[in-house]
Amino acid sequence: MTDDVAAVQRLRDLDDEAFGLRYGADRFTVSVLANRLQYVVEHMCSGLLTNAFSLILRDWYDFAATVSGPPGEGYPMSSVSNSLAVFFGTMADGLRNTVEEFGPDELAPGDLLICNDPYRTGTHVNDVLFIRPVFHEGRLAAFVSLRAHQLDMGGVVPAGFSATKRDVYETGLVLAPQLLYRNDKPVRSTFNLIFDNARFGALLLPDIKTIHQNLKLGERLITESIERYGLPAFLGAIRYRCDVSAESMADALGTVPDGVYEGEEHIDCDGADDSVEYRVQVRISKVGRDIEIDLSGTSPQARTSINASVLDTKTAVGMALKLLLDPSTPFTSGTYRPVDIVLPPGTVASAVPPDGAVFLFWEGSGPVLLAIFRALASALGERAVAGDFGSLSIHNANGMLPNGMPWVTTAQCGGEHGPWGATRHGDADNYSVPYLANNLDPATEAIESDVPVVVLRKEYTADTAGAGTHRGGAAVLKDTLWLAPAEHWSSPLHTKRSSGFGVHGGRSGAAGAVWLFGKDACDVGGEGRLLGTEDAVYANAVPVAGVLDPETHVRDLEHGRYFYFASTPHWRTEPGAIFRYLTNGGGGWGDPRERDPEAVRRDVRDGYVTIEGAAHHYGVVVTGDPETDPEGVRIDADATARLRSVEGNVR
Amino acid sequence: MAEISGAIDSPAPAVHREQVEGACPRCGAHELRAYPVLSEGGWFQAVKCDRCLMSVRRTPWALLGPVQLTSTGLELE
Repeated sequence: MTDDVAAVQRLRDLDDEAFGLRYGADRFTVSVLANRLQYVVEHMCSGLLTNAFSLILRDWYDFAATVSGPPGEGYPMSSVSNSLAVFFGTMADGLRNTVEEFGPDELAPGDLLICNDPYRTGTHVNDVLFIRPVFHEGRLAAFVSLRAHQLDMGGVVPAGFSATKRDVYETGLVLAPQLLYRNDKPVRSTFNLIFDNARFGALLLPDIKTIHQNLKLGERLITESIERYGLPAFLGAIRYRCDVSAESMADALGTVPDGVYEGEEHIDCDGADDSVEYRVQVRISKVGRDIEIDLSGTSPQARTSINASVLDTKTAVGMALKLLLDPSTPFTSGTYRPVDIVLPPGTVASAVPPDGAVFLFWEGSGPVLLAIFRALASALGERAVAGDFGSLSIHNANGMLPNGMPWVTTAQCGGEHGPWGATRHGDADNYSVPYLANNLDPATEAIESDVPVVVLRKEYTADTAGAGTHRGGAAVLKDTLWLAPAEHWSSPLHTKRSSGFGVHGGRSGAAGAVWLFGKDACDVGGEGRLLGTEDAVYANAVPVAGVLDPETHVRDLEHGRYFYFASTPHWRTEPGAIFRYLTNGGGGWGDPRERDPEAVRRDVRDGYVTIEGAAHHYGVVVTGDPETDPEGVRIDADATARLRSVEGNVR
Repeated sequence: MAEISGAIDSPAPAVHREQVEGACPRCGAHELRAYPVLSEGGWFQAVKCDRCLMSVRRTPWALLGPVQLTSTGLELE
């Protein structure tokens, strides 16, 4: 906790002598080295991004790099890449757990150590943690690491993304800490273990070789820095970056009113059946510059692979606090110095093996972040941040081309990208990955070149964004037309309630859904038209997930029935089938009646809000036809004033 | 409210906070409790003040805290 931080002098107030004693060099040198550490991780990532073959690395940026200090310093993680938080958030602990179990004294120059066990290192088995020790004068001086998603790691589902896997034996190959390279020579037994169990080896092998080379690059850059500035200054820079994060987080916590705050968030159900809805509960105690977050009361671990591990939940806690309170300083292991997490084992946010299957870990940890956002909303007032689209609703499919070539798609054709919630600073982004991630959006051309699919629609849906002085992000609708026989796993896990809750008087976004249409619903190739978006089209659709009218299959959160996403555990489709994903909408910030009518007019012009929605949600009367004359839509100022003057007219 | 099947009906796990004798050196409260926490550096067995959150003692715990691996306890020799 922060007693140490609070008691010591603030970093900026240290005089030159005190700074030098603490960090092994003058302030200027340490700052240069601290920035150099950031350069190292970004350079490693650039090398992997530009050389990767696998779609999940090349098009999604599904990897992260870090630099950590040696065992004698407590493995401080000083630098993380500008990539997905769910990875780098786990890597300080994952690296320490891996090295300590393997034995730091067993490591030698030229080693590459790996581990992929979610219970040791977080995330899931496809995300292998690659660790390179950096030696100086025969002693461990640092570690560079890359956590990179491998397209497959065995298990019962090709590429792995499924909410229906029941235990650790079904999720895929577990790699305990072991060497992949020794003295920069491949360890054949480890390669055999992976490649005798994983699919798509032709993609994995060159990517693993690239990862090895980029870790060697990171090692070389760090070695050069140590040789130039000396080991004390290098280690001082690592400590300094962590101390800056710790001080910054403690300062930020000091701005939150002391108190006890509670929040909860839900997951629709697991992949076993829909008899259990899962709850994530947080109780936050905040005193001075310290905070404690207790997840007691969270539901027992799920029966299938929607659970998060302990380290995933630690990541969600850290990122929730960073996003809400302290977004301007780098995330390091020091971020957690003023933060204690109280986490019982065996919950949906802290699953344990062998039955607590972990694969769609973000579906368990994302609600932790949102529950913290909810819990602190009242305390933060105008600083509160609204909820995002909640579930990745990930789509995983595979098949075989006529020439016998297997294909796979993952995280490209579902609801993986969607809206965020609004803040005091402005309207929300409409198209991003969830708060806990930070990735690229695969190019449509890349998807269609690798997979027998056509991306027909990728567009915003009107009147789905949470209304507010600042509008939430609009839900994303995505249609994909499948050109070849395929089997699909669809995992939308947050449709019973809106994840995009509003804050500071803002309204919640709409809840999403998923449908499957047969070729008879719309012969895109034959008729040369897209599947419509009007309500009438859904009657003939097969509901995959969502709260829908039982007859029309149109979304109806108030009176509808929940359709269970795994009623068909995996879907087999013939050519011409269309999957439609609609994400949840993002939450709004502030009273919608305070929204500038001109902003509402622009929303109508741009298709975020309909004319009816403008009146209903904002009390703004807009005239004209945004479809045929978008620049011609106008505000009826008098009618708007009358509408807004009556309490209850805006909902 | 929509017709939503399912209910949260299983007992939820909780962390037990064991009462510890003594007063908090910071705020004086006799509200010390012992329980594990996850923080910078991993898992710790901590004795903390319930009122002001001060950590009176923190001892590094097992690497994985309360998590038992499937392979935990293997006796190979």
